[in-house]
Amino acid sequence: MYRVQNITQAYSQAPWRKQLQWIGLFMLALIIVAMVAGIYLSVSAQASTAGREIQIMYAEMEEIRRNIEDMESQIAYLVSNSEMEKRAEELGFLPVESDEIFYILVPGYIKSGQANLAEPPGSTLPVIPTISPEYTQSLMDWLSERVFDPASPLVQEVEP
Amino acid sequence: MNNQSSWRYTTLGILLTALAVFIVVQMLRIQLSPQAGALRDKGELYSGAWRTLTPARGQIYDRWGNLLAGSRTVYEVGVILGEVENPSTIALAMNAVVDADYDAVFAAASTEPSAEAIYATLARFVTEEQKQRLEQLSVEMKTAYGDRRDPSRPSLAGITFDPRLQRSYPEKDLASNILGFVNWEGQGFFGVEEKFNDELAGSPKRVWVPFDPNRVEEFPQVPEGTSLILTIDRVIQAEVEQIVENAIKESGSESATIVVMDPKTGDILAAATSPRLDLNEFWRYGEIFEDSTPFNRVVSETYEPGSVYKVLTMAAAIDGGAVKPKTSFLDTGSIEVGGTIIRNWNGGAWGPQDMLGCMQHSLNVCLAWVATELGANKFYQYMQDFGVGHLTGVDMAGESSGRLKLPGDEDWYEADLGTNAFGQGVAVTPIQMVMAVSALANEGQMVFPRIVLSMINGGRQYNTSPRISGTPISPKTAQRLTDMLATSLEVESSVALVEGYRVAGKTGTAEIPTPFGYTSNQTNASFVGWGPLDDPRFLVYVWLEKPTTSPWGSVVAAPVFRQVVERLVVLMNIPTDQMKEQLLTGQ
Repeated sequence: MYRVQNITQAYSQAPWRKQLQWIGLFMLALIIVAMVAGIYLSVSAQASTAGREIQIMYAEMEEIRRNIEDMESQIAYLVSNSEMEKRAEELGFLPVESDEIFYILVPGYIKSGQANLAEPPGSTLPVIPTISPEYTQSLMDWLSERVFDPASPLVQEVEP
Repeated sequence: MNNQSSWRYTTLGILLTALAVFIVVQMLRIQLSPQAGALRDKGELYSGAWRTLTPARGQIYDRWGNLLAGSRTVYEVGVILGEVENPSTIALAMNAVVDADYDAVFAAASTEPSAEAIYATLARFVTEEQKQRLEQLSVEMKTAYGDRRDPSRPSLAGITFDPRLQRSYPEKDLASNILGFVNWEGQGFFGVEEKFNDELAGSPKRVWVPFDPNRVEEFPQVPEGTSLILTIDRVIQAEVEQIVENAIKESGSESATIVVMDPKTGDILAAATSPRLDLNEFWRYGEIFEDSTPFNRVVSETYEPGSVYKVLTMAAAIDGGAVKPKTSFLDTGSIEVGGTIIRNWNGGAWGPQDMLGCMQHSLNVCLAWVATELGANKFYQYMQDFGVGHLTGVDMAGESSGRLKLPGDEDWYEADLGTNAFGQGVAVTPIQMVMAVSALANEGQMVFPRIVLSMINGGRQYNTSPRISGTPISPKTAQRLTDMLATSLEVESSVALVEGYRVAGKTGTAEIPTPFGYTSNQTNASFVGWGPLDDPRFLVYVWLEKPTTSPWGSVVAAPVFRQVVERLVVLMNIPTDQMKEQLLTGQ
């Protein structure tokens, strides 16, 4: 008992030990702060990268949309009435006259009177968010989800 | 640590603390100052930008799904004024590549940059190929002259390209009068583009786009504009436009208009008129449509129809019980109605005639008598039932209602009954005449002309239905008049007849009124006809304005009708009457 008291007294009284204690505590605090800052920076950098990628993807989407419209117009130019007529003439076709046509009766055949350009009703998918929750969820949201709904998948799939 | 060092450290500590306190106080002062809100707003303004998400304009197709109006990428070329090094090079390059005016580009690129002048537009509608050429030039200049900032060095520095979707018309001037056009700002003018501008354009949305990628949010869904499928058949339209061109040349007319409609559904299969405009060059509108030339005569221009109007008068009289096809009339060459003497087109007397003869010889005197037999009230009621003087409601912008003076109107006189009976003193549009005559071709039922067959919105296609406007005459009257008109064409061996097909029709020649009366030699020549009579599939209206080779509809308009029908029966797969009978009887 005496020995323990002696050591405690000696230890507490030694000024360099006291100093070391403070330095240790300060270093510990510094390491914790550095770790938190590091984690914050890492998460923040990831979020920024993801955000930037989203911005780039939106720009790409816009470009792709423009390209689709361009392509449709180009196809339409290539198959326009005047172009088709020109090609037909080059291939040696001639406009048909009424007395050159032979008609036959096809029982049950009903000619469609117009184009159907849209998909049939009922096959369209509902509009859902396209950004995965990982990009929008906060750390607290994610933690509470893990705690209160641990069965939910870690990565949620979304339809494009 | 001695006392002197201690003093220094204490002073430094006080100074740093004071600085920290000053900073904190200053922060608090700014935060709590009256300008704090404005400063916050300004900060927010620089943190992102408002952006308008404009949906792609809906497309327009013909009835078989051929694209008539789509979109393509074009570029607005501009300069960031602060980055311009050599305005002369920019002007030279723009002039060489996009044919822009050198002086205008030089002046724009030489503008001194300021808070108000940051950017200047140099050219619009620049194509992808032109843009690539400019970019290539820029790279070549950098390679040849380096990229140091030097005003004497040839450089395209500062030039920018802003891509955007612009309306594109793959068929160029085909159906241009029906479609209308869209200007640089995305506003539709004339035709379907104007009438359905809001639907085609969709609803743009303004969104705040933060520059900070951490604050990026999902863009809202912007539904595309509604697409339209028209009733037009592009092949028929092209053929009819060609016939219009030929008719103008052959008859020396000022303009020509032809409308082809399915009399059962009201579907306008073709509506061709002149002049036409390559819609990809809409800025040439003023050059092509000089003075007050209407963009689409089919719906916009009213005129006195002349003798084609007699089919309506005779239909009304037979339906109203005033006359029968065999009713006889002694034509003495003139008749007085309301104090005005009405004479025949040749000024002659045609002697005893039945109603078939009156129509066959297009006798003004007889038709004026028929109208008086029917009575003014009944006559005008029938004309209103035929839709004369009313808008048809066809889905094209700029429709005129025409004019039908009615008893009781300040400018209506009793004499008008006699002149209106043969299409004088009444103003109609071609589309009105087509709609009115559809009652004769469709067993008494008059159909609304329609140009939009379907709308596509949100991935769904919504088809429109044919609509009956009314039943101004009975099916029996329609049949009687159709027979009369077919017989009259056959008896006089009209040039409108088409071999193998029985058609009904009527010519028209109307004098054009001047401020001093009917003093001009100029006429409106027209023809309205339909067929095949056992199952009408087409109704064709031809109108030639001021023909010079001959003033008569029977000479210049009737052959045009035949030409149209000869192509229609091929393009619409209509077998001859004889072949149809053989197919049905199996012989």
